[in-house]
Amino acid sequence: MLSKNGKHDGSIFRIEFLIVISAILILAVIFMGCSSEKTVNVVKLSPPDMIEQIKLGKIDAFVAWEPFPSKAVRDGFRVFMKSGEIWPNHPCCVVAYRTGKADDEMLKALVWAHVKATRFIKNHENRDKVVEYASQFTGLDRETVSIALENIRYVEYPDEKEFRHYYEFLKESKILKRSVSEMGYESEDAFFGDFLRKDIYREVVEKLSENPDYIPEKAGSIKLGYITADLHHLALYVAMKEGYLDEVFDNVELRQFPNGVAIMEAFRLGEIDAAYLGGAPATLKRINDGIEIRIVAGVNNEGSAIIAKDDIVKPDDLAGKTVAIPGFGTVQDFLMRKVLAEGGLKQR
Amino acid sequence: MNKLYSLFLFVFLWYLLYFLRVLPAPHTTALTFLELLIMGDPVLGRNLLEHSASSLLRVLAGAGIAFMISVPLGILMWYERFYHLFHPILEVLRPIPPLAWIPLAYIFFASFPSPTVFAQIFIVFVGAFFPSFVSVSDYARNTPPEYIELARVFGAERNQILRYVVIPYSIPGIITGVRVGLGVGWMSIIAAEMIATSGSGIGYFIMVMYEVGGRTPEILSGMAMIGLIGYGMNALLLRIERRFPWHLRSEE
Repeated sequence: MLSKNGKHDGSIFRIEFLIVISAILILAVIFMGCSSEKTVNVVKLSPPDMIEQIKLGKIDAFVAWEPFPSKAVRDGFRVFMKSGEIWPNHPCCVVAYRTGKADDEMLKALVWAHVKATRFIKNHENRDKVVEYASQFTGLDRETVSIALENIRYVEYPDEKEFRHYYEFLKESKILKRSVSEMGYESEDAFFGDFLRKDIYREVVEKLSENPDYIPEKAGSIKLGYITADLHHLALYVAMKEGYLDEVFDNVELRQFPNGVAIMEAFRLGEIDAAYLGGAPATLKRINDGIEIRIVAGVNNEGSAIIAKDDIVKPDDLAGKTVAIPGFGTVQDFLMRKVLAEGGLKQR
Repeated sequence: MNKLYSLFLFVFLWYLLYFLRVLPAPHTTALTFLELLIMGDPVLGRNLLEHSASSLLRVLAGAGIAFMISVPLGILMWYERFYHLFHPILEVLRPIPPLAWIPLAYIFFASFPSPTVFAQIFIVFVGAFFPSFVSVSDYARNTPPEYIELARVFGAERNQILRYVVIPYSIPGIITGVRVGLGVGWMSIIAAEMIATSGSGIGYFIMVMYEVGGRTPEILSGMAMIGLIGYGMNALLLRIERRFPWHLRSEE
C-alpha cells in the first residue's frame, strides 16, 4: 500500500510475511506427514464406488455393508474379515421415528409389519422367496445375494449393551461433541432409556405371542425412508411385497436416500415420519445435532465385511495402504479403527 | 479506520446471530480455528494447514495448466483468423459452470492413477481458464490501433507487432486474468472437494464435519480458512500487479 508521500506503509510486506510463514508451515506439515510410518490413508467413498476403486487399484481395502462385500467377492476379491469377527453381534441398522411426527398407533403398526417381515426372512421355509426379494431389492443376481444374506443377522430389536459399546467408542474418539447431560438427561442410562424405546416392540411381540393372527388397527398414512439397495433393509421390502404394510396403513409413501446422514436430514426437515437407517448416523446426529428421533426396533446385527487385496492377510499389512470407509462415525468406521488398532496402525 | 469499523460491525452482527442461536459465538469459533490450525480434528486426524496444503496444491496445478493455455491463446485472439475460429467455441463453453464438468471429468480420468484428484484439478482448470482467457484476449484485441500503426510505419511485421506491441500491452490483462482465474479456481476446488471424496482438502473437511454433525465452529473455521487463503492470494497478486507502471488503481 502506498502512503501519501509515495512510500510503502508496510501493510503489503506484512501480508507477504504472513504468506511466507504460512507456506513454510504448510511445507513443514507436508514433510511431517510424509515421514510418518505405520499409518493408513483412510478415505470416504460410497460402497458402489469402493468396488470400482478397488478394481482400478486406487484403494487396497474397504469396509462396507452387504451386499457390496459379496458383490466384490463375486468380482474376484477376498473377504479379509467379516464384521462379526471384529465385533461379534454388533448392532447395525434400526427403525427410528421422528418424535412428534409418529403417534403410538402408527408405531405399533410399523413395528408389527417389521416384526412380521423379519420373522418371514428368518423362516427357512421362505428361503427361495427371500433370495428372490433380496435380488429384486438390490438389483443383484441370486447367487450374490445368497452369499450376502449369510453374513447378515436380521433382528427385531437391537442389543442395548452393544449399542452402549458403540456410544463409548464415539465418546472416546471425540466424535461426539455434546454430552447427554448437555441434552438435558440426568445420566447416560436416562438417555438410552429414552433413545431406545422398547415398549412398543414389547407390546407387539406379547400380542403376537398371545395371538399369532394379531393385526393392529389401521394407522392411516406414513412416510417411510430407507437406503437404496441396502440389503440390511430387506425387511422393509418384504413387508411391502408380503402385504404387511398394506394391512396396517392406508397409504405408505416410501422415500429412498443415499445414506443415513441424508435420512437424518430428512428427519430434521420433517420430510419423513420414520425410517430404516444405520444406528450410527442415528446416534451421532441425535447427540451432535439434537435431531429428535427415537429407535423403536432393530433391523440387523453384523452384516458388514472388510474386502482386501490378496497381499493383505493380517491387520499390519494395511500399513501404508489406502482403505475406504462409507463415512466417519459409522459402524464401518468403528470396525476399521478396531482392525487398525489391532495392527498397531494409525489413521491418516 | 474504516476497516476497523467494518470489523466491529462484522463481529457485532455475528454476536447478534449468536444471541439468536443461529451461529456459535465468534470467540468459540476463533478458539476452534486456532485449535484446528495446530492440533487437527479427531475425526480426520489432520489439521487445517494440511487440508489447506492439499487444496492449494490442486489449485496451483489446475490453474497453472489453465494459464499455460489461456494466456497464449488469449494473445493469439489478436489475429482475426484465430479469433473467428476459437471465439464461438469458447463462448459456448464459457457459461458452463465448473461443477457441471464433474461427471464428465470422472469419465475422462477414470483410468488415471488418482481419478478424483485429476478430476478436481480439471475442475480448477475449467474455473481458472475462462476468466484468464477473457482478460488476456480483451487486452490483446483492444491494443490501440495507433500503436500498431506506429509500429507499421517503422516497418514492423505482424509477428513483430505481436511480440513488441500486443504482448507488452496485454501484460496487465495477463496479471488480472491470473488473479481472477486463481480466485475462481480456488472457489471451484472447494466445491469439487465437497462433491468428490479425495481424503483431504478444506472442502472435504467441511463436508465431513457436516456429516458427523455438531461441528458448526469447525465448519466456520474451514470457511474462514478459505477466506483467508483467497484473500492472501488476491493480495499477493495485487501487489505484483502494482509493480507494473500501468496498473489500474480502479481495479483495486
